[in-house]
Amino acid sequence: MPKNIMIIDDEEDIRTYLMAVLEDNGFQTCTPAQEENVMHALQREQPDLVLLDIMMPRRSGISIFRDLRNTAQIEHVPVALISGIEKATGFFNGEIGALPDGTDLRPPDGFIEKPIRIEQLLEVVEKILETKGDTRELSD
Amino acid sequence: MSLAIEDLNVWIKEKLFDAVPMGIAVIDHDFNLVRANRAFEQMFGQWQGRKCYRVYKSREDMCPQCKGAEAFQDGIPRVNEEVGYNKNGIFTRYIKHTMPIVDSSGDIPYLLEMCTDITETDQIRREHQLLFDQVPCNILLIDRDFRIVKTNAKLKQMLGELEGGYCFRGLKGLDSRCRECTARQTFEDGQLHTGHHVWKIKDGRTVHLHVITVPLRLHDGSFDMVMEMAVDVTETIRLQSGLNFAHTFLETLIATSMDGIIAVDDQANISVFNSAARQLFGFKADQRIVLDDIMNLLPKGISDLTDFPSRDLYLPETSIQTTGGQERPVRLVGNKLMMEEESLGMALSIQDLSEIKKLQNEKLEAERLAVVGQTVAGLAHGIKNLTTALEGGMYMLNTGLRKSNLGRVEKGIDMLSRNIERIGIFVKAFLGFSRGRVIKAALSKPEEISKEVVNMYASRAKSHGIIMRHERTGDLELAPIDYESMLECLTNLVGNAIDACIVSDSNSNLHVTVRSFEEDNVIIYEVADNGCGMDYEVKKKVFTNFFTTKGLGGSGLGLLMTKKIIQEHGGRIEYESEAGQGTVFRIRLPRNRLPQPPDDTETVAATAGG
Repeated sequence: MPKNIMIIDDEEDIRTYLMAVLEDNGFQTCTPAQEENVMHALQREQPDLVLLDIMMPRRSGISIFRDLRNTAQIEHVPVALISGIEKATGFFNGEIGALPDGTDLRPPDGFIEKPIRIEQLLEVVEKILETKGDTRELSD
Repeated sequence: MSLAIEDLNVWIKEKLFDAVPMGIAVIDHDFNLVRANRAFEQMFGQWQGRKCYRVYKSREDMCPQCKGAEAFQDGIPRVNEEVGYNKNGIFTRYIKHTMPIVDSSGDIPYLLEMCTDITETDQIRREHQLLFDQVPCNILLIDRDFRIVKTNAKLKQMLGELEGGYCFRGLKGLDSRCRECTARQTFEDGQLHTGHHVWKIKDGRTVHLHVITVPLRLHDGSFDMVMEMAVDVTETIRLQSGLNFAHTFLETLIATSMDGIIAVDDQANISVFNSAARQLFGFKADQRIVLDDIMNLLPKGISDLTDFPSRDLYLPETSIQTTGGQERPVRLVGNKLMMEEESLGMALSIQDLSEIKKLQNEKLEAERLAVVGQTVAGLAHGIKNLTTALEGGMYMLNTGLRKSNLGRVEKGIDMLSRNIERIGIFVKAFLGFSRGRVIKAALSKPEEISKEVVNMYASRAKSHGIIMRHERTGDLELAPIDYESMLECLTNLVGNAIDACIVSDSNSNLHVTVRSFEEDNVIIYEVADNGCGMDYEVKKKVFTNFFTTKGLGGSGLGLLMTKKIIQEHGGRIEYESEAGQGTVFRIRLPRNRLPQPPDDTETVAATAGG
């Protein structure tokens, strides 16, 4: 059973790209339907991994990430953030930590920097899913 | 005995009595006047058969202390100063010599009384005393031992009784003579001398005096006393030093002022032209300057400094010409100098704005460089996004070709061409921003701009089912605004509002409202929508370079550009937003901070509006 990866990115071209790459490499992908509430989609799909873009018009990725971590049914879902912003200076280090109600949140599981290199993407994805698999095997 | 002597004796015997210029009378024991000479009669009038007290003093009875009675008693001659009334009843002061006339038996049957009228002399003496005491200066007499013989009342008032004491002790509280002694100089050469003295007076204050010493000469020209007259000049000195200070202070202020200061009197003479003004206009330090030299260097419109139409003149940003023909930006303030109703001329204060202008430009340049820095960082970010999309396109194309999947190939080509087009848009926006623009303010109708934006977006809004409204409260007065730039600001805001409505979760009752109104001399534009609103992270980055939530569809420059334009209009932009509820952007343009329109202002609203 291939792992199901949900891609949350408002930009269709990037969505298409990521889905093609991941599917070509044996993963199953999904994405929230047009106009669908992201939280609903997450709870319905219960994906094995979420690739989350940070900058989107309706809700920022940070806000979605915070909700995800604060929602019991999906709190455990691993998240890799995607952004063109440098790791050290951007949201990841500087701003998540600075969020008043975000200080206790478990940090994202991975970070994928734009422009996306396929090897890097797959490496991050596989690493997260393997780790996840390990813990699942241990806990089972 | 010669005939002449005999005649003389006869004359003395018969005529002398009447010829003596003092009044002579003889009284008997009963105080009856028995004889009197002509002078007496002239003084006191009718005397025959009258009592002395009646004649001298117009009394009905004897005087209480009658000197005559005493003389009859003791036979001793006496001199008294008396007062009485003359024949006209006028109060008279006279000196009376009383001489008992002793007969051969030693009795005193008569008294001879000789009266000298001193009424006038006494009056003069009193006048002198009054003058001496009340003249507004301190007067004292000093003898050769430097003891004070006499002081006038004014000096007594100031220093108390000093008579008999040494002048240096009484006046200055010293134990020995002063080194510089004006009185001594006069004692030595008999001449008038002046000096500046400082006295210590009763309450411990010191007073400054201008002192004149003159010898008090006797008839033979000798003198043993010096009269010292001292005028209190403390207040004068205080005022003088105050004036000196004020004068020096002003002189220094004018001389060292960074601003050029020029004063012209009402005769068109230049009375002040400080070194800053010389530097400003480029005159040499020692060059004589007349009004004609500067008239054509001053800003246009200042034609006559001596008859300036209004009281004051304020040109916050104008320019002068230097003697070298260069233009120099200055701030010029002119004040008409008035004393009461009389014009004293005109004062100009000219502040060199070159340095400020230079700093302003440097600051703008620095800000622009900072923006370039941010721009490069933001550009990198934008390029990363585009690169990702292009890589996606390439990936689709390559894998499609490899797998002979035509659908994928087409998708890849679509992605490539779309994003290449976006690169074009992106680069254009980037260049537009980095070039910057010069605000060209012209009098415009503020509400015309918002109206035009609403018209521009009406059809786009309608196609997405969004209601577009323009609310205005009456006609606003013309304002100096760069029409095209402000149009761009509102275009950005309205465009964003429509985008926010399009991506909103809600699908019904979406609207964008543009309002233009004025409040307390502030022109306000409001763009309100009930679209998706912004959450915390987005709000924080609203005005950040290249921040966009529109993915590849936005350059991230719109609001930044908007903010820049509004700042250049002296205004500010603020917003309120609630995720899921909507957003209001508000542009506030205080009228007093709007840019200066050029002189030949034309109303552009007439052509650009509608």
